Amino acid sequence: MKQRSMRQITKTKDTLMKNIRFVILITLAAAGFTACEDTIDLQVPNGKTYPVLDAWITTEGGPQSIRLTQSVTSYTNNTPAPVLSDATITLQDLTDAKTYNFAFSNGAYTYDPGGDLSIGKVGHVYKLTVLYKGETFEATDTIKRVPEIDSITYEFKKADEAASGEEGYYAYMNAKDIAGGNDYYWIRSYRNDRQHRNTDVYAINGAFNDDVADGWVFIQPIKEGITDDDKPYQKGEKVIARIASLSHPSYYFIQQVIDQLNSGGLFAKVLENVKPNMVNVTNGGQQKMLGWFGASAVSFKEKDIQ
Amino acid sequence: MRKHLILLMSLACFILQGLTLHAQQRFTVSGYVKDQQNGESLIGISVSKAGTSLGTVTNEYGFFSLTLPAGEHELQFSYIGYTPIKQTITLNRNQQLNIKLEKSSSQLSEIVVNGKQEKAVNTLNTSINRLDIAQMKKMPTFLGEVDVLRSIQTLPGVTTVGEGANGFNVRGGATDENLILLDEAPLYNSTHMLGFFSVFNPDAVKSLNLIKGGFPAEYGGRTSSVLDIRMKDGDNQRLGLTGGIGNIFSRLAVEGPIKKDESSFIIAARRSYVDVLFKPFLKGDMADTKLYFYDVTAKGNFKLNKNNTLFVSGYLGRDVFGFGKDINMSWGNTTGTVRWNHVFNDRLFLNMTTFYSKYDYSLKFSNEDKKTGNEPDQNSSWTSNIINYGVKPSFTYYISTSNSLHFGVQGIYYTFKPGKGGGTQDNQQSEVLLKDQHALEAAVYLDHEYKPSKKFGIQYGVRFSAYQYLGKGTAYYYNDTTPGVRRRLIGSKDYGNNELIKGYYYWEPRASAKYNINDNHAVKVAYARTTQFMHQLSNTASPTPLDIWTPSTNNIEPQVADQYTLGYFYDAPSGLLELSGELFYKTMKHQVDYIDNANLQLNQYIEADLLPSKGRAYGLELMAKKEVGATTGWVSYTLSRTERQTNGISKNEWFLNRYDRTHNINIVVSHEFNKRSSLSANWVYASGTPGTFADSRLEYQDWDIPYNSSDERNNYRLPAFHRLDLSFTRKGKQHKRWQGEWVFSLYNVYARRNAYTIYFQQNADDPSKKDAKRLSIIGSILPGITYNFKF
Repeated sequence: MKQRSMRQITKTKDTLMKNIRFVILITLAAAGFTACEDTIDLQVPNGKTYPVLDAWITTEGGPQSIRLTQSVTSYTNNTPAPVLSDATITLQDLTDAKTYNFAFSNGAYTYDPGGDLSIGKVGHVYKLTVLYKGETFEATDTIKRVPEIDSITYEFKKADEAASGEEGYYAYMNAKDIAGGNDYYWIRSYRNDRQHRNTDVYAINGAFNDDVADGWVFIQPIKEGITDDDKPYQKGEKVIARIASLSHPSYYFIQQVIDQLNSGGLFAKVLENVKPNMVNVTNGGQQKMLGWFGASAVSFKEKDIQ
Repeated sequence: MRKHLILLMSLACFILQGLTLHAQQRFTVSGYVKDQQNGESLIGISVSKAGTSLGTVTNEYGFFSLTLPAGEHELQFSYIGYTPIKQTITLNRNQQLNIKLEKSSSQLSEIVVNGKQEKAVNTLNTSINRLDIAQMKKMPTFLGEVDVLRSIQTLPGVTTVGEGANGFNVRGGATDENLILLDEAPLYNSTHMLGFFSVFNPDAVKSLNLIKGGFPAEYGGRTSSVLDIRMKDGDNQRLGLTGGIGNIFSRLAVEGPIKKDESSFIIAARRSYVDVLFKPFLKGDMADTKLYFYDVTAKGNFKLNKNNTLFVSGYLGRDVFGFGKDINMSWGNTTGTVRWNHVFNDRLFLNMTTFYSKYDYSLKFSNEDKKTGNEPDQNSSWTSNIINYGVKPSFTYYISTSNSLHFGVQGIYYTFKPGKGGGTQDNQQSEVLLKDQHALEAAVYLDHEYKPSKKFGIQYGVRFSAYQYLGKGTAYYYNDTTPGVRRRLIGSKDYGNNELIKGYYYWEPRASAKYNINDNHAVKVAYARTTQFMHQLSNTASPTPLDIWTPSTNNIEPQVADQYTLGYFYDAPSGLLELSGELFYKTMKHQVDYIDNANLQLNQYIEADLLPSKGRAYGLELMAKKEVGATTGWVSYTLSRTERQTNGISKNEWFLNRYDRTHNINIVVSHEFNKRSSLSANWVYASGTPGTFADSRLEYQDWDIPYNSSDERNNYRLPAFHRLDLSFTRKGKQHKRWQGEWVFSLYNVYARRNAYTIYFQQNADDPSKKDAKRLSIIGSILPGITYNFKF
């Protein structure tokens, strides 16, 4: 399945549709009206709840943490998801035959290898085992290679110069795909600190699809993807960019999540549930665990807007 | 097979019976009916022997043939909006009679139309709606522009997923199940600007027929409807100019005689110009924004001699979007049709159509404008197209007043270039090229129309459709897996030029029958099986211009639909009011659905992401129509349901289609105050479309992922849709040649924010808040002004 994910186009299409939608809005505005989005009070009966595993192991040094929460039974309920503290979580490095036991404290399960040591290593295969309410769930993932971010640059745009009509600093991430084979990436930007997620983009090689743009500098939409066009950076803010490498299954998951979160508008897609990778290996096991276990090599870069 | 033979034999018997029964001394009068003023051939004109029920209607080329006993007959030619003509002929041999009808100057003079051949109570077919451009022009407009697709959405049984959506849904079918024909060439994209305007230039459109059920055997290739749009022939009396200037685009059409009374042409063009108006105001990223569409429609007709007429027509339309050199994209249809009408003799008429149709799109990207420092040049592109060549000779044999045969063959050859994508970085090149696909669709059909008595009539026939998925190409074979999961490729086989990869063959029986209780009441029943070999792959709310069409393959079975219709029709004795009620039930097989997270673009293995589903739709359609007088219009109400069942979706249970609307009401009223002023109003109400809503939320990596724990698709409904539009037309004084008119329109008069979609998002300003958002495509009142002129 060589050309399995031709994501460039889907992604490009989404970008395009966003742009086109904007142009249409101008047209329609010219004609005297605008489309509008507003927040509504929607009455949806509460859903069933499931445990949700949020586990992403990286090559970053220091402690790694994993969360297990209960899904919130209404999307618009703003209370944080209840934390589940009664699970036993074990990570195995299958390549090195090492086992790390994650212990619960402060709302998450953590493991600290001490100092700046890292438990995630490029090329290693990891298996996560979660024992919850007497049933055992398992998933594996592999850490792939990741390129460095060469630099972050930015430019100032006045409101009438920016396609989104928002004044501010538009930041760009300059990086290059590693040549040879298909590489999958998840690029995330943060505003000011790592507690403030800003944007998320996915990529294959330097673009969006298998067997294309191998070894390229990341193409424009990815490069520009670290700025939220509706809310560009402002003076004094810090741009933090992260590239995380992805295995193919993890890429497929991340891509579906990002698409799902960006869906809407004239060409809205139907709401599809993201499929989990945790498999219940218990004989006669009944429980379902949502979420995903992934593992990545990561590289970071920061830039202050001055 | 045996069943089919019996069917064919009984068909032959019926026809022979028809031939022999009427072997007494009879002669045929045949000819064309045209408009007095501009020479346009008139479709569906009632031709009857005055004071009897004997009669016929003119065909799509204005031709009629009526066989009557020898002797003197008074023939009446009539049609709504035209002054009826009576003419007495003495039939002692076959003779030709060409008639010109004069438009009645105004609807105000309540001319009661006596000729009722074209009224639903007298025709054999059910589920057909016909609209003339004159009727479409009376309806309130969107931004002042007469729009073919918007006008059919006021008819019972026709819905869309929402305002500005691309395409329409007929009797619970998907948008790709409508065969849209422009002068008999199929169109693959019917709208400009992603759905806001239809691609048909009203200046060049004569009329349309929307067939929703009881399909005559002539039509095939789509399962839900046929929208048959006929272009104007062009004025064969004098050279004239028509046009209009509106907020969004302007139109101009030239038409005139090539040879007076015999040959004429029309060329009509439109272009939008918001981009031009806005150019001075755009800076920075927007400075070089391109946004426009245009279309050109042209037609010529040439009367070669009294028995031969040639028609040549073509269409070219394009939408263009771009931002400097960063992104440039365009898409559009191109069609061409050549038709030859040949009258073999008074009773045998041939129309031979050959056509070409192409839909393509192209996207180009470049970093040239934005590249900094020593960054490499990057360029990429993506293109795709579908091309068809078709030929369809169709014969009509008018055996007698009570018998006629309609038969012919059809062939369409398709080539698909599903996609080519790729790019360059400096001199490095990479490319994804999906393999071409080829297919041949052929059909042979025969319909017999038989009216043994004044009360009873039947049209029945059969269509044999053959479809072949051909080389040069590659067939892929996939494993069987849990439905809903991407299938794994297990093998492939290359085929040479024109080698058969997979064939599908179907008998499609068709029948419609009518029984008149009396002159004013009729009951009709119909059954039709239809098949479809082309499918548009789209998993968004409405199709995008980039969603490709794919042929049936060894993995994608053709769609098959069976539809049953029961109708009741009433025509008030005064001729002023028509009522109809129709019930339909339709089952559909092999509709296309998609696995979650399906990849439908530039994917060689796209078939691995498709799921076959089955569908059913049923409903009741009511309509009351008044076509004559100062106040005209119609009220339509549809109560319907459309569902599907797909293994792998919604727990394998039946679920509502995204385009299901339980109730749908349309009121279209137009009132002529005097010869110069008229007002029209349109009110639409439709139950909200179903949607899949999140009933829970997953916290994951600082995201709030919407989740539907019920796993049921389309389990909720959006709020109901309703809207009122008004339009006022004021004609200018008739100058020597110049005739102008102002059209003022208000769209969405009470500014309702109708929901197009509802989706779930973190609040942009405060991520700790989670919102359900409603998108309204048009959320305010929308005025439009157009000045139309005729010279």
